Amino acid sequence: MADKLDVKQGTLALMILKTLEVLGPLHGYGVARRIEETSKHRLTLNYGTLYPALLKLEQEGLVTAAWRQSENNRRAKYYSLTAAGRRQLAREAREWHQTADLIAAFLAPRRETP
Amino acid sequence: MRYLRAALARIAGFFTGHRRDDDLRDELLSHLDMETAENIRRGMDPEAARRQALLASGGLTAGAEAVRDQRGLPWLESIAADIKYAFRALRHSPAFTTVVVLTLALGIGANTAIFSVVRAVLLKPLPHRDGDRLVYLRQSIDGPGGANVLFSVPEIRDFQSAPSLGGIAEYSPFFNTLQGEDGAVRIDVGLVTGNFFEVMGLSPVLGRLTLPSDDGTGAPPVMVLTHEFWIKRFGGDSGIVGKTVRMGGGPVTVIGVLQPAPFFPNRVDVFLNMVTSPHHLSALMVTGRTHRMTEMVARLAPGATVQQARTEVATVYARMQGQFKEAYDPGSHYRVAVIPFKEVLGERARLTLWLLMGAAAFVLIISAANVVNLTLMRGVRREHEMVVRAALGAGVARLRRLLLVENLLLTLLATGFGVLIAVGGVGLLTSLAARYSPRASEIRLDGVVFGFALGLSVVVALVMAFVASLPKEGGFASWISSGGQRMSGGLKKQRLQRGLVVAQIAVSVVLLAGAGLLTRTMIELSQVDTGLKTEDVLTMQVSLLNPARLVPAADAEAKLLYERMQQEIGALPGVTLVGLGSHIPLRSSQIEFDLKAEGKSLAVGEAMPHGDFRTASPEYFRAAGIPLLKGREFTSTDRAGTAKVVIVNQTLANRFFPGEDPLGKRIAWTGDVLRFTPISGEWRTIVGVVGNTQDGGLDAAPRSAVYLPFHQEFTMLGGLVIRADSNAKALAAAATRIVRGIAPAAPVENVLTVKQIKDQSVAPRRLNAALVSSFGLLALLIAAVGIAGVLAFSVSSRSNEIGIRMSLGADSGRVQRMILREGGVLLVMGLVLGVAGAYFAARVIRGLLFGVAPHDPVTFVGVAVMMAAIGVGACWIPALRAARIDPAITMRAQ
Repeated sequence: MADKLDVKQGTLALMILKTLEVLGPLHGYGVARRIEETSKHRLTLNYGTLYPALLKLEQEGLVTAAWRQSENNRRAKYYSLTAAGRRQLAREAREWHQTADLIAAFLAPRRETP
Repeated sequence: MRYLRAALARIAGFFTGHRRDDDLRDELLSHLDMETAENIRRGMDPEAARRQALLASGGLTAGAEAVRDQRGLPWLESIAADIKYAFRALRHSPAFTTVVVLTLALGIGANTAIFSVVRAVLLKPLPHRDGDRLVYLRQSIDGPGGANVLFSVPEIRDFQSAPSLGGIAEYSPFFNTLQGEDGAVRIDVGLVTGNFFEVMGLSPVLGRLTLPSDDGTGAPPVMVLTHEFWIKRFGGDSGIVGKTVRMGGGPVTVIGVLQPAPFFPNRVDVFLNMVTSPHHLSALMVTGRTHRMTEMVARLAPGATVQQARTEVATVYARMQGQFKEAYDPGSHYRVAVIPFKEVLGERARLTLWLLMGAAAFVLIISAANVVNLTLMRGVRREHEMVVRAALGAGVARLRRLLLVENLLLTLLATGFGVLIAVGGVGLLTSLAARYSPRASEIRLDGVVFGFALGLSVVVALVMAFVASLPKEGGFASWISSGGQRMSGGLKKQRLQRGLVVAQIAVSVVLLAGAGLLTRTMIELSQVDTGLKTEDVLTMQVSLLNPARLVPAADAEAKLLYERMQQEIGALPGVTLVGLGSHIPLRSSQIEFDLKAEGKSLAVGEAMPHGDFRTASPEYFRAAGIPLLKGREFTSTDRAGTAKVVIVNQTLANRFFPGEDPLGKRIAWTGDVLRFTPISGEWRTIVGVVGNTQDGGLDAAPRSAVYLPFHQEFTMLGGLVIRADSNAKALAAAATRIVRGIAPAAPVENVLTVKQIKDQSVAPRRLNAALVSSFGLLALLIAAVGIAGVLAFSVSSRSNEIGIRMSLGADSGRVQRMILREGGVLLVMGLVLGVAGAYFAARVIRGLLFGVAPHDPVTFVGVAVMMAAIGVGACWIPALRAARIDPAITMRAQ
């Protein structure tokens, strides 16, 4: 198994928002599974990490939550993206790409001989 | 916007959160269910599937707690929970709570009250503008009454040449009478020059203050009221400015009211310009270098330091002494001190106040030590509880906070009660401080003082929370796995507990020793022989003469009135004798001159002898109960025109005529100052010697006194001495009525029995001794509780060991001795430390003692024995309990 990584503060919110954009309304378990799988199990989310992050997004008005029947007839709380959430996702994704490009550009060159 | 929305959501969550707990639990459980189902689907058996899901969850409770943190205002919420819990915990151990709150309340209350006094009297900046730039100059000489001899006008003029003294404010303490509808009162007056208030940096609250234009003989007489007198006498009447009041010397116009401010060395009721006292403007006063009647406060020039001022003043003073040798007799060691004004205001109070502050701090320290000890023991019993909380996911910080909240609750409760104690006690302390300091009126229980109390309680709470045992972050696992089974508390903690007990005992010994010394001082003082052989004497002072206008005609008139008072009071039932004199006994006469004896010359370096001036009628000594040791009393033939005679006191007779018979010898007043008085320097024959009286206070060395016949000299202040056959106090009202009837305009003062005068002198010492004694007893009690508590705890945690010892053959006496020995070691260590500490503490308070040596062996031994007895008594209870341990029961409990 690959090395476990800690979820960086702030990046979890982005992952959740993207997950909800891709998969549509989803419960906490689904979000956790998706993030773990996407990260090839380098990330694991326990409740104490996941649910406060979901609640924070809800408080910020980026997601809404409602109880619904799940596909195999369980009751579960489904989170879905709001319009504000979509805008926020777009903005943060753009910023992340820019930052990642910048860092990658920085780290790319090998040691130069003067 | 997003953050605002989130913040609002969280605040809402704080109030509604508990309703959403069910929802949260459902959500987490559904997650668990789905994960379990998924695990089963992958082929795990149901049990393993659920276990795996639980492991992945990181703990349902911890998860829920994390969400709760995000939901509301977590710190506020958990503190609210902590407070709720702390209340419950404290309610469940009422004995612990009561003891802690009570001891801390006493400690905090005493400290708060005394701090309020220390702050007002010693620490607070002066109300004067740039008050820290003011310095007080004091001229002193050797001998009784020489501590402050004031300055003469020429001396002050000379000091003006010191560049570091930017301005000199001078005032002459004086007295006068103020006429009112309800009779006359004697008031304390400060005669000031026009620049006085400018230099002092004081402002008016009404009207104006004196200006240079109020100086000189041509200026109209004006008066500035002190704030205190304005309130007391005129009820704070805002229309007072511009009004005219009648003084002893004539009408004076009130021009203003001064802001509240302390004065030194004496209280002042009103300030007058110099023109109100012709004497102060006379050539004699202005040119007489030895006519020292003026106090001096200077303002340092910009940039100048006190040290510079000291150097310059010393230089100027040395030059003066070289130039005017006759004014500074070398035997008296004339010297001038330059003292910051703020310091001099607190000088009489400083030692007493620091003593009380120290004693109160000691009480707080040992009560805090006691509380820490109790907390430690309680902490050991609660280790199990802490382990459970840690296992359920509480972090060290959270547990720490829980303890802190509990302790804060305790100390805040204690502070509440403590502040109540302070509010009740501050009045008593203010009356004590008023005897020592002119700043007692500034004592307030204000925000700063309450802040001090609060600060104390927070510090105590922090200390208490941090001595409790909690594992280091990360060390939880071992702590939990040991399951909190170790109930002994560990060696390190026991050492701390024992150290605290030793400290408590030591501090108690120090306090008790101080209390013992002060109590003995008070007893010694109240047993001082006043010199008056009876206490059934009523004295009163009736001033008929205006001190600024001593003329023979007025004096003759006054004498007639005094004689009428003597006759009428003498006719009252119960009165056996009435004496008249210039002063009443047991009060300083404040009139003293240099003396010489015929045929005696001063040895080189010998101090100039002084004597108090007093007059007495023939009945005075018998009425006052002053014993005639030699010769005769005055008779009715000792009057104007007959030979000049005097009676001297024992001290004076010994000073001039050691080993000789003073009768028939001649003495005379001498010195330049006589020129300013109606008193002549001619030779007077000694016809009698009387015993000494404690005129300078019970603790002062007796002063030389010369009594002149009442009918041969000016009456000066005028004092009546009324001897009763019993209960002199009951005569006060009738006697006062007679005096008022004869002289309605004269102020009547000091209507006191000898017993009351004595009490006044002892009272502040008694209060002092009582305060320190109660602190000492409180400390003793707390230390006893402390030692008994620690031993009891030791016994209960060692009950196994004791059980084993007993089953192996130790009898109960042996066990009892073992526990007693354990306590005895602590006791002896505490006693040794305490006696050593008391040895040093006693040296510090030496200045407050009278008639008892600082290392008085009786006190020290007494205190040690008392502490040892109480300590052994306190050890006995747990020792008895240990001896009663039944080995069978304790062994079975294992």
